[in-house]
Amino acid sequence: MAERVLELQHVTMQFGGVVAVDNLSMHIDQGEIVALIGPNGAGKTTAFNCITGVYVPTAGQVRYQGQVIVSAQPQGKMKALYAGSYKDFPSQRVTSTPDAITKLGVARTFQNIRLFKTQTAFENVLIATHLHRSSNLFTAALRLNHREEKQLREHALKMLEAVGLMDEKDELATSLPYGKQRRLEIARALATNPKLLLLDEPAAGMNPQETDALGQFIQEVRERFDLTIFLIEHHMDLVMDISERIYVIDFGRQIATGLPQEIQDNPDVVTAYLGVEEE
Amino acid sequence: MKAFKLSIAFLLALAAATLLFFSFQAKDSLPQLLERMDPHQAALQDAQMQKARDRVLDSFAEGNRERTLRNLDRYTGGFSDSLVMDSRTGFELFFYENGPSLSALGMFLLVAATALTGLVFSRQGKWRRAALPVVLIAALYAGVYILENMVGGSSMLMTVLKKGAIYALVAVSMNLLNGFTGLFSLGQAGFMLIGAYIFAIFTIPVESRPQVYQYYAGGLIQFEMPTLVAMVLAGLGAAFFAWLIGLPVLRLKSDYLAIATLGFAEIIRAVFQYDGLGPITNGSNLLRRFPTFQTALFPFAVAGVSIALIALLIHSTYGRSFKAIRDDEVAAEAMGINLYRHKQMAFVISSFFAGIGGALLAMYQTTVQAAAFTSAMTYEILLIVVIGGMGSLSGSVMASFLFVAASEWWLRFLDNETMMGSFRVPLLRSGFRMVAFSVVIMVVVLFYRQGIMGDRELSIARLTRWLGRRGKGGRDG
Ligand SMILES: Nc1ncnc2c1ncn2[C@@H]1O[C@H](COP(=O)(O)OP(=O)(O)O)[C@@H](O)[C@H]1O
Ligand SMILES: [Mg+2]
Repeated sequence: MAERVLELQHVTMQFGGVVAVDNLSMHIDQGEIVALIGPNGAGKTTAFNCITGVYVPTAGQVRYQGQVIVSAQPQGKMKALYAGSYKDFPSQRVTSTPDAITKLGVARTFQNIRLFKTQTAFENVLIATHLHRSSNLFTAALRLNHREEKQLREHALKMLEAVGLMDEKDELATSLPYGKQRRLEIARALATNPKLLLLDEPAAGMNPQETDALGQFIQEVRERFDLTIFLIEHHMDLVMDISERIYVIDFGRQIATGLPQEIQDNPDVVTAYLGVEEE
Repeated sequence: MKAFKLSIAFLLALAAATLLFFSFQAKDSLPQLLERMDPHQAALQDAQMQKARDRVLDSFAEGNRERTLRNLDRYTGGFSDSLVMDSRTGFELFFYENGPSLSALGMFLLVAATALTGLVFSRQGKWRRAALPVVLIAALYAGVYILENMVGGSSMLMTVLKKGAIYALVAVSMNLLNGFTGLFSLGQAGFMLIGAYIFAIFTIPVESRPQVYQYYAGGLIQFEMPTLVAMVLAGLGAAFFAWLIGLPVLRLKSDYLAIATLGFAEIIRAVFQYDGLGPITNGSNLLRRFPTFQTALFPFAVAGVSIALIALLIHSTYGRSFKAIRDDEVAAEAMGINLYRHKQMAFVISSFFAGIGGALLAMYQTTVQAAAFTSAMTYEILLIVVIGGMGSLSGSVMASFLFVAASEWWLRFLDNETMMGSFRVPLLRSGFRMVAFSVVIMVVVLFYRQGIMGDRELSIARLTRWLGRRGKGGRDG
């Protein structure tokens, strides 16, 4: 059996009275490309944020490589407010900060691009190599770590080369065109040496050719860096093309899951999502 | 070509060694010199002369160089008839009188020789590029020393330079936090206060303590430390308090740090004046008689080394993490940067250097009183950081000197009532300087938000490019 990389069990995220993610359970195995789709506001980004530690879910569990990284039950006033559909909460409480989860091997990109805006493309990637350093404050400040520093720089260059941004390496990240900024975000995520890569709408704002190229590129990096990929995407061609399995959510709830072909033919999905998209 | 450069370097080193050797030797040789100048013991017959000579020797024993030089001048000028001045004595006297300048010159030549030699033996561009800044920095320090010996240590120019150097360090330390890590702290004066007090408390000579702590029976602490040790301790003390504040506050997402540090600075100012702590802090009385600096080179050296360390840190992998946090906390955290740990690091380091700055300020002022470390001081430093450019160390340094020169010197006239004939110039009276200053600040903040440097740094390449452009522009026009 393939190794289970990520597993969500009954995850619910409620903001005040709004249940953004409701009882979401899913799993991803080693080496898979899995897509999460759903209309705008369905709760996809929120699900990513629960996995990466940006939000502590109201209830539910997240396991990464078998290890519980998040486990939560309603706290404080949420006890009374809780409006999720699943009420059998885990008893233990575990929370992890985003940096700790990244350290374990989960990296991500953002739907609304979040590059370090005063830094060049190269510096953006270099910052993300931070996890591989062993130098402390003093050895770093006094330049006793120049060998390590050189390795970090080489690693960053390799990532830029992998996404084809070598020519733009000294340009300010925010001055790059949209498509390249998205690639740079991927390079930056790759620089943390992840095992699981979460991509939040990587093709947003790209034209059909760019989207096509991105699909190929995602499959390439999966091979090259031995990755598992979890992706949120609206471009259906891309999703159907590269993903091996798909989860569909609407109003925070899972409405379908299966192979791309099955999803395409699922009447619920067509009404909830594809129908709206193609109107 | 190589041989030529090397021989030049050798000659420079030789000259430097000679200068250094003679100035160091001349430093302590004044009593013997006086003996030799007066082989017939004329001073024994002439009471006036004896007195003048004793005055020289007294001020020499006291270690007061300026007074010694003045008294020496009077002695050699007034009794030149009875004194024998052969060429060797004259030579040594010259070295005694100009010792600091000459040894500074010697140092500079030595650095130049080293740089030249380094240039010859290094094929790497890295060394070549490093050589020029090293020479420039050495020249700067030598320049300060020579200037000090020319215009006198207590002149307005030197006052501005000394205070400017201290403010530069404090501004750079604040910039590390506000400009590079994106944390807004308003506690700089509080950390400086801690540094100043720790330094003063541990360096006042034991024999002076009964007078300083006259209301507290000589105080509690009855030992003293070397200046540099106390200075590091001053930094560590300030850093410790920062760590304590950061422990709860830096875990919060939003910007409680500004409020917490501002409150801390106000509280610490009151605590240090609290009578119950008098045996340690001397209550609301002055602390004095601790070591002060003899030369402007001391604050320049301490501030220079500290600023260099901060600059190195900012360009290291940790500095990159600070900048990432400033640019986007969420993204930084997603890249595996532990927000709390790095914010705490930046805060503690910033406060460490603010503490050192406080110790320097104590030495500069020669006395310390908690009441002086008001939030107005923090705002001054914040203004320097804003004027220089958030995220530019060289901007902070330049702005510090400009700010101190303007507030202590150039704009002083605004505070003096001035008469032009019988006409009293309107507005010029005590306090107007601060009004004018506020207007300048408002203009900067409103129309020139980037400050002098924005987030760029001054570099030689940038400077030559800029000068080149100006030159070209001149020719075209
Ligand atoms: N921090 C938040 N506070 C309150 N509501 C939120 C927050 N984040 C997301 N939501 C709400 O959760 C729902 C799902 O949002 P999101 O996960 O961004 O959707 P998607 O990524 O699928 O388009 C939306 O209704 C949104 O308004
Ligand atoms: Mg989204």
